[in-house]
Amino acid sequence: MSLTATAAQNALIAFNRFGLGAKPGGPASIGSDPKAALKAELAMPKIASIDGALPGYVKACFASQQGFDNAEAVRQRELNARIDKQMSVDIGFVERLVIFWANHFSMTVNKDDAVRGTIGQWERDVIRKNVLGKFGDMLRGTIQHPAMLCYLDNADSVGPHSTQGLNSGDGFNENLGRELMELHTIGSGGGYSETDVTVMANILTGYSYVRGWESDGGYNGGTKKNRGQFLFRPTWHEPGSKTLMGKSYSSGGAQQALDVLDDLAVHPATAEHVAFKLVRHFITDEPTPAMVNKLKDKFIASGGNLHVVALALLDLPEAWSAPFTKIRTPYEMTIAQYRALGKRYPDDSAWAFSEPLNALYNMQWESPSPEGYSDDTPRWLSPDAMRIRVDVAQFSSWEFANDYKKNVGSLAKSLFDSALSKNTAERLANAGSNNNALTILFSCPEFQRR
Amino acid sequence: MSDDHCDCPPSAADLRLRRAAMEGCGESRLLMSRRAMLGVTAGLFSWAYMPRFAEGATNDPRLLVVVLRGGMDGVNVCVPFGDKHYVSMRGDIAIPAASTIKLDTFFGLHPALVNFGKMYKANEAALVHATCVPLRTRSHFDCQDNLENGMPAAIVPNPTGWLNRLMTALPAGAPVKKAGAIEIGEAPLILRGPAPVLGWSSTWFDKVEDPLLYLIETLYRERDSEMYGALERGLKADQIASRSDQDDGSISDLRKAFRGAGRLIAANDGPRIAVLSVGGWDTHADQGAAQGYLAGVLGELDLAIADFKAAVGPSWQNTVMVAATEFGRTVHVNGDSGTDHGVGTVVLLAGGAVNGGKVFGDWPGLAPAQLYEQSDLKPTTDLRSVFKGILRDHIGVATNLLNTSIFPSSGSTAPAMSGLLKASAAKSMTGSIASLRAEPPIARYRKGLPVVAGLGAGA
Repeated sequence: MSLTATAAQNALIAFNRFGLGAKPGGPASIGSDPKAALKAELAMPKIASIDGALPGYVKACFASQQGFDNAEAVRQRELNARIDKQMSVDIGFVERLVIFWANHFSMTVNKDDAVRGTIGQWERDVIRKNVLGKFGDMLRGTIQHPAMLCYLDNADSVGPHSTQGLNSGDGFNENLGRELMELHTIGSGGGYSETDVTVMANILTGYSYVRGWESDGGYNGGTKKNRGQFLFRPTWHEPGSKTLMGKSYSSGGAQQALDVLDDLAVHPATAEHVAFKLVRHFITDEPTPAMVNKLKDKFIASGGNLHVVALALLDLPEAWSAPFTKIRTPYEMTIAQYRALGKRYPDDSAWAFSEPLNALYNMQWESPSPEGYSDDTPRWLSPDAMRIRVDVAQFSSWEFANDYKKNVGSLAKSLFDSALSKNTAERLANAGSNNNALTILFSCPEFQRR
Repeated sequence: MSDDHCDCPPSAADLRLRRAAMEGCGESRLLMSRRAMLGVTAGLFSWAYMPRFAEGATNDPRLLVVVLRGGMDGVNVCVPFGDKHYVSMRGDIAIPAASTIKLDTFFGLHPALVNFGKMYKANEAALVHATCVPLRTRSHFDCQDNLENGMPAAIVPNPTGWLNRLMTALPAGAPVKKAGAIEIGEAPLILRGPAPVLGWSSTWFDKVEDPLLYLIETLYRERDSEMYGALERGLKADQIASRSDQDDGSISDLRKAFRGAGRLIAANDGPRIAVLSVGGWDTHADQGAAQGYLAGVLGELDLAIADFKAAVGPSWQNTVMVAATEFGRTVHVNGDSGTDHGVGTVVLLAGGAVNGGKVFGDWPGLAPAQLYEQSDLKPTTDLRSVFKGILRDHIGVATNLLNTSIFPSSGSTAPAMSGLLKASAAKSMTGSIASLRAEPPIARYRKGLPVVAGLGAGA
């Protein structure tokens, strides 16, 4: 029996706006109360964790300093495991949150093997572990991770008045300090100054990681055991108390940055920034203060509890009333195809996954900018991208479903239920072949929009 | 639709890149992951507006910037056979003087650059030797960023690109209607910023064709006008850019992209400024000499430049193509008959507007004592000076704008190079100072502005 039009629409919202796309029969399974189904997913134990024998912190860090091939092998395994996880979950709201937060702290593996070899481990042990926990823990974990310290050039940042600075004349690099304020926490226009950026950079001096050559030669605190791992170098840290955004931090050493991070993590401007980005990612390009402030208030009241904030997002009236003005990112679209078919690329043919995403500029863990991939719909719904999306839909129908024997019209009905438009159903019926029908299915607005 | 689609794995070029990554520096990985913008699928981007230049559409200056990613070996592209140290330094990858295309009594062109050599002799191609971006870290990632952001020697967080800043300073003009594709965002860094950008990519996927395409187009038309409009504009741009190439499977995507660039910027109502990214230059192993790997890549680029000239047609006389790379190679050969990351390299210029038939720049010499850090060709010309010379004399950009906004703090360190163009642009263009750093959405929200900037402009 089909769902009512309203129930099917709400199920489509759950799967497209908040999830990674329906699997066959998905809408029917949650149709009675899609919002409750999303909330239930948030409450499931271990919903965010990936099982399997993937390298832990020590092994990943080690591999990241053993040359490109070793680091790349780890990246491939991590990416495959991520995709398997995202295909396995029922709706995928938590996975969407993982993608969101990984993009919030965007890094690219193209910077260095130190990122390439550890980004998967970082995503599992920092993002997934805290995706329904405290924002502050996610922030602490990220800023103390070799991937981020490498990516934003903090590894050689030296306080000018530190022992190392006085001996060598080396100085600080403000890249991480700036992005920490502008992109990760407070956000541009949130009340910090250029001076604060410089102070933040000084606070972070000494936050580094052990490069392979330091491990090999026993330089700068490197040993055989801590190869590739986070290392605070006390003699590189700018001494003395610092004043950031009007508050004085008198603790010294590594603790100073942690004290600052704890404050930034619960700052009202950070709450607003996070709230704004969540609404913008999931619901609309143009969030209103009415929407943003509801999430912001929950964030502040809960001390940055991301489970509470995720629930608040689902409770926004606009979550269920706003039209589908956004479009799936190419990555979401790809995963939705795999979920619909119950099939992905073979492990040894990762190119079939990466080629469409390279063509559409959405390869995961490879955003070219620390801002991460954009939530501007025009960036994804552009003429060139739309043309390529249709070609990629056809590519997928050939690559992943050349042996698909079932009726594609029935598949569409089970993916969208009553929300399948007559227009789409009619084309599926007239497609002439299963490949053509799947190309239409992967292109249709019901599949693309969210 | 056919069932005999090519189940193609990434082409041979991919395997070369992979090999480079395994044998050479880990940073060749960059080339693999930026493959969408590489030789095999070069991405074309341009400003989404047709600048309203004083002279009228057909005489508008055209500019194609080609970013050669990976670090091109300038010493074997423009061979200094007159330097007595060349042969000894280069060992088994030295190119004999007799094999080169003679440019003058000192320099010869790599023999693979046949068409470029003809242009040189016709005074419509030139080179600038011993150039380099300001940043000298020899990191692909950082130096490509530096080439594209136009900043002094520093790693700049989240900057805009210099070509985008140029566009914000140009007269607004009319939207590009013929190509019509507006893309904001993930263009290469050189084009990143507030000015809207048109994108067209030459992809290797089989194209959806009628009648299937018709089913999708009409479905969009009935159900989603925004997706419909975008798809139609994208198809149209693709049609102009790739025109008859679909019938010619033997042409590389690199050449298709250059042809597409030529067709688009030649069109009366097309864009005037375009960017192409071409990869494959990271020659750590077995790079060859007169023949071999580098010769192959150069030969493909040479054909592409010739294709570009043909596609531009009569507008060639108003065209400048400048091809630059993030750094060069070591002067010494390494143990794998290749070269590693080095600083100084060469810039290629082509176009009817180029003051051709010359090798510009000061030759620093290849004697061991003359090398940069005992290793590389010593840079004598800042790459920004070359770009600035072209922008000033070809487009007519005012010097103060070049020194402050487009290439900040470059007035004294990298003055605009003179003499690169046959004639100087008659009129000097001035404009407002563009932002050096991208403005994040949250900043716009906090100012009460619409978060998505520049929407609807010309769409």
